Amino acid sequence: MSVKLTTEQIEQIKRHGERTYPEECGGLLLGVIEGRARVIREVLPLENIREDSRHNRVELDPRDYLRAEREAAKRGLGVWGYYHSHPNHPAEPSGFDLEHAPFIEWSYLIVAVRDGRAEEVRAWRVREDRSQFDEEIMTVLSVITF
Amino acid sequence: MPTISIPTALRQYAGGQPAITVQANKIGEALTQLTAQFPDLQKHLFDANGKLRSFVNIYVNDEDIRHLQKEETAIKESDEISIVPSIAGGAPSATAEEARTQSDTLPELNKDELARYNRHLILPEVGMEGQRKLKAASILLIGAGGLGSPLGLYLAAAGVGRLGLVDFDVVDHSNLQRQILHGTKDVGRKKLDSAKDRLADINPHTQIDTYELALRSENALGIVKDYDIIIDGTDNFQTRYLANDASVLLGKPNVYGSIFRFEGQASVFYPKAGGPCYRCLYPEPPPPGLVPSCAEGGVLGILPGIIGVVQATEAIKLIIGEGEPLVGRLLLFDALKMKFRELKLRRNPECPLCGDNPTIKQLIDYDQFCGVAPQPAATEVSDWEITPSQLKQRLDNGERVTIIDVREPHEWQIANLENHGSRLIPLGQFANRVGELDPEEDIVVHCKMGGRSAKAYDVLKKAGFTRIKNLKGGILAWADQVDRTMAKY
Repeated sequence: MSVKLTTEQIEQIKRHGERTYPEECGGLLLGVIEGRARVIREVLPLENIREDSRHNRVELDPRDYLRAEREAAKRGLGVWGYYHSHPNHPAEPSGFDLEHAPFIEWSYLIVAVRDGRAEEVRAWRVREDRSQFDEEIMTVLSVITF
Repeated sequence: MPTISIPTALRQYAGGQPAITVQANKIGEALTQLTAQFPDLQKHLFDANGKLRSFVNIYVNDEDIRHLQKEETAIKESDEISIVPSIAGGAPSATAEEARTQSDTLPELNKDELARYNRHLILPEVGMEGQRKLKAASILLIGAGGLGSPLGLYLAAAGVGRLGLVDFDVVDHSNLQRQILHGTKDVGRKKLDSAKDRLADINPHTQIDTYELALRSENALGIVKDYDIIIDGTDNFQTRYLANDASVLLGKPNVYGSIFRFEGQASVFYPKAGGPCYRCLYPEPPPPGLVPSCAEGGVLGILPGIIGVVQATEAIKLIIGEGEPLVGRLLLFDALKMKFRELKLRRNPECPLCGDNPTIKQLIDYDQFCGVAPQPAATEVSDWEITPSQLKQRLDNGERVTIIDVREPHEWQIANLENHGSRLIPLGQFANRVGELDPEEDIVVHCKMGGRSAKAYDVLKKAGFTRIKNLKGGILAWADQVDRTMAKY
């Protein structure tokens, strides 16, 4: 599988990471499966509900997830992934990320934010036996509007 | 009829449907029906023990069943049941040095924490910044036993933000004399469960991450990389070299401690800070069996308390960046003399791991390095061994078997096979007393667990004896398999 996003969506994820810096941010990725790709149609920034360690922990509200599923269903989309930021750390998944990754069917995007500026965004997926993350091919489509 | 809505990611296992209708009155029944109808969902929702996976939440309408009656929660016709994932993530915690230069990103302390850490906050060496560094820090404890107990208790109490515990053992009665993380009520529980409960009670602000596994070459780097400091509290050489190598390869400090009988040692191995590593001190492990473990040789219960607390102190100093760490020094403690001594340790420029031209650049096979065979299956019996039940059988058949106990007299007092004609010849005297034995007789040697008697076996073999067997698993295995009334120690 690979994941497809637009430059605009990547920007949206980066801006979210910069807004919440030095704390982590997170959100969901809504889209569809086309062939062997998860095509993201919408980035949904959500609240970090952690009360402590917000500089290196993020947690989403399960109710937000429920709402996202309902909203996605209305528009013929599904929830196919999730993104979060790593303030002052590379865009590589941590052991904590692995332990808390819910689905092997999802794309996991991480944005590295260093000193308040978003750097790279990388995509990962969980190996079937949940032993580790593997980097996922990310295709970024430029949307040109005339 | 109630419906269960399926997350997008799992619909492929439910025939592609977004929602499934069930006929059930309780949540538990509804889930059973769901997985009966779609067996592929089982492993995505439940773990191997049939418990809901930790990241799977079940909601009835907009309420988490954990706040209702859990799986007993009643459901009505019109209810919508949802399977909702917990979604969380996070960057690895900052390393100690990074934390020092990034005080603006240190976590804040809330009102409860300010009250809790008052006696630290008024120490200028700790203060607000030091306490926030402790909160930002993460420490990996390998082993939740003798050393792991005081380490866990004091590090959690001190306000370390995240503790990782690696252990796969179950609390046993023989642990309670020193492993103060666990109580009598915990006997039979997993040490990780018992430790987690106790530590959460001591300090709910400390995050406890548990790893139910033996640290091995295949998994060590993946676990160690997420921690600032590694503390090895195990008592086998494989893990000690593994923890050392993993820490050096990842540039992390390794706070070392070891205990035996009445004596202990501690140091901080941190080549990145100019100090030596464990391999500079001990380039090679001793031959297997030469150094007895605490299970074989015994240990004063309070000793891990003293050494563990020295280790905890060093870890806290590294985090707050105060004082003189035990880098390049080996602290020796003798409880009988009540003396602390100190040896200077230097980094060995020839060290294969942290020297000038290192040859070890990745983890190796530590069982092989330490000359220990990987744990054989419990049922495997070599031809030089005899199992307790085989021995019992032979005795019951009236066969003449000379049983020689090679333990110490104080161990004999706890439990022995005297009623089967056993004689005590401690291993230390064994070579000189071989003459007391008759090579024409069938001889079975035993000790507590089978290690020392294997040496006695070798002595006999060299002396030309052929009709010898080693009692597999020692007297402890006898107590487990043959005589359950026997005292174990």
